[in-house]
Amino acid sequence: MKTILWLQGGACGGNTLSFLNAESPDVLEFFSYYDIKLLWHPSLSLETGDKVRELLNNIVNMKINLDIFIFEGTVVLGPNGSGKFNMFAGRPMKDWVNEISKVANYVIAVGDCASFGGVPASDPNPTESTGLQFHKKEKGGFLGKDFRSRKNLPVINIPGCPAHPEWIITTLSMIINDKLTEEDLDEYQRLKIIYNTTTQFGCPRNIYFSYKVALKEFGHREGCLYFDLGCKGSYTRSPCNVILWNKQSSKTRVGTPCFGCTEFDFPTFNFFVTEKNRSGIPKRLPLGVSRGAYTTLSAIARASAPEFLVKPLIKKKEDRGNWLE
Amino acid sequence: MSSKIISPFNRVEGDLDVEVKFERNKVIDAKIISRLFRGIEIILKGKNPLDALVITPRVCGICGASHLYASASALDMIYNAEVPINAIRLRNVLSMAETCQNDLRHTYFMFLIDVLNNKYHDYANFEEVIRRWAPIQGSSYKECFKWSKKYTEVYAIFGGQWPHGSAIIPGGITADPLPNEIQRAISILLDLKKNYLEKVILGGPINQFLDTVKSYNDLLQWAEDYKEGDLAKILEFGLEANWHKLGYGSGIMLSYGHLPTEEYVGTPSKKYFKPGIYFAKEKEYREFDQRNVLEFVNSSYYTYSKGDQTGLHPFEGETNPNLDEKNKKKYSLTKCFRYKLDGKLIAPEAGALAMLSVTGNPLILDLIDKIGPSVLSRVVARLVRVLIYNELMLQELNNFEFGKPTYKKPSEVKEGMGYGLVEAPRGALGHWVVVKNEKILNYQIVTPTQINMSPEDPLGNKSHMALALIGTEVSDVNNPIEVHHIVRSHDACMVCNVHMLKLI
Repeated sequence: MKTILWLQGGACGGNTLSFLNAESPDVLEFFSYYDIKLLWHPSLSLETGDKVRELLNNIVNMKINLDIFIFEGTVVLGPNGSGKFNMFAGRPMKDWVNEISKVANYVIAVGDCASFGGVPASDPNPTESTGLQFHKKEKGGFLGKDFRSRKNLPVINIPGCPAHPEWIITTLSMIINDKLTEEDLDEYQRLKIIYNTTTQFGCPRNIYFSYKVALKEFGHREGCLYFDLGCKGSYTRSPCNVILWNKQSSKTRVGTPCFGCTEFDFPTFNFFVTEKNRSGIPKRLPLGVSRGAYTTLSAIARASAPEFLVKPLIKKKEDRGNWLE
Repeated sequence: MSSKIISPFNRVEGDLDVEVKFERNKVIDAKIISRLFRGIEIILKGKNPLDALVITPRVCGICGASHLYASASALDMIYNAEVPINAIRLRNVLSMAETCQNDLRHTYFMFLIDVLNNKYHDYANFEEVIRRWAPIQGSSYKECFKWSKKYTEVYAIFGGQWPHGSAIIPGGITADPLPNEIQRAISILLDLKKNYLEKVILGGPINQFLDTVKSYNDLLQWAEDYKEGDLAKILEFGLEANWHKLGYGSGIMLSYGHLPTEEYVGTPSKKYFKPGIYFAKEKEYREFDQRNVLEFVNSSYYTYSKGDQTGLHPFEGETNPNLDEKNKKKYSLTKCFRYKLDGKLIAPEAGALAMLSVTGNPLILDLIDKIGPSVLSRVVARLVRVLIYNELMLQELNNFEFGKPTYKKPSEVKEGMGYGLVEAPRGALGHWVVVKNEKILNYQIVTPTQINMSPEDPLGNKSHMALALIGTEVSDVNNPIEVHHIVRSHDACMVCNVHMLKLI
């Protein structure tokens, strides 16, 4: 039997709710298949008040073994380092996180907040929030760059705002089966099998990206959102278009730009605009593409764009989609 | 007199502490305290107005679509956007789908599992309710686990992902669905209707329920006729446990109204659920005017530049946290919501019960009349809303006109002011936005939990939740389950209290 404790710091609860959407297995099946005991979770557990404090103290004193400590939300250090912007069970949450991380076999940061600081830690960071082992791009965060859990692993990050339930369950199942090693993690301590491709993999608009056919305004199925509307899908590492959301869709499929929420620098702001340099080329290029290569490729691609892509595919009668460029 | 702080008070969204003072077994004072501050309003200052569509859903992981809808509506007003009817239908579906998952998850995961409490062990139907509602193992608990997420699938078809989609934008919605996607959503909703709502919740046909159950007596009759539904069991157990006598509160119901019915420019005029204020005792309805909304900080860890006794309308609102522990009058970082009516400051109740009573739903009005605004009527109202919403979503999707636009690009505006008022799962939610030089100058969010759980205002008026707790007799001071029922019946959400915190 493995034990899990799930706590929320500077959080919106979104990762918890996302976790509840899991399918094949769902959360209840997952707990039962893997013989998991959920010691406590703020939204799901019966125990309240004093009983929770007693449980937490027993974990810290190691009277109760803790295999996996899952933390959602930022570690809140404000105001002035006191942590009093986030009190939990009578103490600043940061103090609980510090003590519990020391006794857990594995420590998992679920969501962009716990991984990197996310929304609360964004400029001007009014709550002095930080991630468990990263603050934005910088390694360290709350627990420090040298932190290792009792099984000698750093914090395992499952970023995303929120994290997809399948990413969470995959990570947990690998840990429980002792199949997760340090080599499985990338430089941001994310599981490579999940975060080594970009959001663009599997995006139905990818063909528009290839031929540089830009979407100029929202509300249309056709056209790529990268060139004008701020989509970060070509340089954000996430499997959102391969492992679909809620079994159904993804942001780019419904015409919403990717906001890069699995990355350390989320939120970058100015989300619905593609910032460009003076020659009109997007400032941020697709992952691994040089400026020279991009310029050459774009010229050729645009010139060879098939006619059917610059027309509305299905519903509108105009010869050319006036929302396409 | 004894004082008790319940910390953490779990199974609400986020962290909550409740401080109650007892005289013997009677609650004589109550303070509701959130322990978390995330500073979203401060983060939004100086940003591009559209950034609010990405940031504000992150206020809350369970009702992000409500924040998104409120945010986009405020921007509709600022940009004087024309919103096509197709966009309104899809926006409405997103909002309702999210509310349905919330109302079910709240009922089963957060509220009902309290029936396991020691107090109820010798109740005649204890075994039956355990079989149904026990966490993880209960039959209805499991059904809720399986079915509530199907509403998030409906959401994702048009919103991309749930939680934290950002498909609603000023001028419409980013999606442009094909008929097969509309069909898929309809099929999920029909599946929910037939195989979950009718089988598990209601025990009988939804259409019959909505057509014929118009009073408290009709409801009792329904429970008699369809004994196997959870609704009947909730009524039966709730009446035995006196849930109908718990948590009356202010008796004043507030709703901002919800779901526009027709195309509009800037701001909607007609909604399926009308806005207003309803006085339960007097059975009196009054119009709502957002200009009368005020926020105070005299009891909150904030300062106002004009002094802490001043009330500010959200357009002039300020968010300056200041943890001044020396000031003993301050105990919370919840700003205090009050509504100015006839020269008085009122502290109303918000939520499903308020929404449905203000709009004049006959069953809910009679429920309030017969068993008061109470724990039981709140739980029933939340489930009735799911039934109404499921039908309304089907209607909106059936009326979707493929080929007509879902978005009309608004012209750019350098400055302006706008507000967006919606009914979130927990009740009236408002965003007030001021834009200057194409940047956000001020962004104020007033949440339903804040409306329900404000601290005292300068005149000493208490919030609805404090009133709902004060006077409650608990069966055991060391096991004040009645306090838990009252707080949880409101579906409290502390994460959405963007400005709430308290020091111990």
